[in-house]
Parts: sequence; structure tokens; C-alpha cells
Amino acid sequence: MTSHNFQPESSAPLSCAEFQEHLPDLFAAGSEGLTDDPTMLEHLKTCENCSALVRDLQYIADQARQLLEPTHEPSDDVWKKIQEGLTGDIHVASNPGKV
Amino acid sequence: METQGLQMTEQKAGPGLYKRNPPIAGEAEAIERAKAGDAEAFSKLYALHKRRVYTLCLRMLGNVTEAEDMTQEAFLHLFRKIGSFRGESAFSTWLHRLTVNLVLMHLRKKGLQLVSLEETINPSEEDAPKRDFGSRDMQLSGSVDRVALERAVASLPPGYRMVFVLHDVEGFEHNEIAAMLDCSTGNSKSQLHKARLKLRELLRQPESTAQAGLKEAAL
Repeated sequence: MTSHNFQPESSAPLSCAEFQEHLPDLFAAGSEGLTDDPTMLEHLKTCENCSALVRDLQYIADQARQLLEPTHEPSDDVWKKIQEGLTGDIHVASNPGKV
Repeated sequence: METQGLQMTEQKAGPGLYKRNPPIAGEAEAIERAKAGDAEAFSKLYALHKRRVYTLCLRMLGNVTEAEDMTQEAFLHLFRKIGSFRGESAFSTWLHRLTVNLVLMHLRKKGLQLVSLEETINPSEEDAPKRDFGSRDMQLSGSVDRVALERAVASLPPGYRMVFVLHDVEGFEHNEIAAMLDCSTGNSKSQLHKARLKLRELLRQPESTAQAGLKEAAL
């Protein structure tokens, strides 16, 4: 993964709005350190608000992975309807195998 | 349901999806048997994948009845097309792509014909996350459990929820999402960022306010 380097027009410190404008691309770039751009890093180091924001957004993205494990189960009617739908195509088993 | 426009070409999954979809014991054999028309093998595949497919439908649609209908459609389609699965990607990846495409087609048919999905999935200004340039509230790290996150995701505006589920939960890349939603990669990145900002906003609310906010968002 490579970090995105942004080249601001001047070396003036970034405002929060400018910093946050780059966040969608920085997160999409997927680098572990988010960025190695000195201006961005400086803002991240000195702005408590933006560093908390970045930490929270990374945390939310990390936590989202636990949602991949399925928690919901379709009702038995779904399998019955599938069987009905497949009538003519194939004779399917009356009950899906337990796993 | 009409599925003529459904893309059933098998695309190789990104490394993230392989990690997220490891092979399941007995699956490969069931696939081969199902291709040959073995009824028991079909039921085994349904049993193996019904929860993942249904959960995906439910998260994308936010509605039990529609999620069950789409689960049914996905498996009917799977059973009819399984012969075209060549094993170049994980079976669950292939099945998820098929399901996502069916759900998106369903949503378009429901009333998104006149405007592009890109425009339609953008929520109103009220639903958009607020910019955060000064608040010093509590931080989330370590404080969010699965149930709270699940509820917050369910209360996201549909466009945000769609991109968040596809990217952060299911592991699709932005270019894949852009192709599926018929929008630009930049739009996918922007929607995802706004979804995470909105989730942060919802998850940082105190319990009582959050309950009210989630109820309101669900209406």
C-alpha cells in the first residue's frame, strides 16, 4: 500500500476543513499510517479534533468487519418457496441439510 | 422476478474477499453434485449460505419481507446458474455478487428508473452527517458493541447504508461498487466517508438520545 501525498499550494498549516476534505481519498488509499504527507501529518499531530475523528472512523471501519458474520436467519417459508419455484426444474430435498 | 440483465460473469475476487470467504468444508463437493442436478446437494448449499445471503439482503433492504423475497430469488437464480460457476473465485463471493446484483436490480425496478441511482442514493441534507470542526466529545474506541453498530447501520439513509455494507462489511472495492451502483469511484468513496461520519454521529449520542434518533431515522 502506498500513502497518498498531497501537495498543498502553500506550506501554510491546513485548516480542519482542508484536512477533512482529503479524508475520503486517504481512507480509500488504505495505508496503515493513513498519510505520509508532512502537512497532513502536522495537522493530525496538532489537531486533537481531527485526530479523534480519524481514530473513530478507523475504529468504525474495523468494527464493521464483525458484521460479516451472519446473525439473521430466513424463515422456513423461504426454503418452501424455493422448492416450489424449482418444481419442474428439479426435485429438491424436502428439508435443507443441517450444517 | 426478471433477471435478464443480471451479470453472471465470474470475476476474480480481491484478496480481501478471499480472506473473508475461506472455503467451507463439504462445499466444493456439494457444488459439483449440485451442478449434476443432485437435490440433496442444493439443500446443503442452501443450508450453508442462507444466513449470509439473508443477512446481506436484510442489511441492504432494511425490510424482512423484501429480504426473504430476495433470498428466495438469489437461491433460485443460483440453482439455475450454478453450472456456470467455474471456481475462479470463492463460491460465497460469487453468490454474494449475484445477490447484490439482484437486490440492486430490485431497487431500480422499485422506482429508480427515472433518475440515476447515483442521484437517488444521495440522502437529503437533513440526513447528511454534520461537519466536525470543533466538538470534543467522547471517543468511540472500545465503546461500540456489535448490537449498537448493527442498529446504527440499519438507521443509515439507504445510499449510505448500501455503500457501507458493500465496502466495510462485505469487502467490495470502490471500483466494484461504482460498477454495481452505476456511479463514479469518487462518489462511492464520498458516500462511504459520509456513512462513517453519520455512524460516528449516531454512536456518540447518549443512549436515550440515540434511541430517539434511531427510531426517527427508521420512520
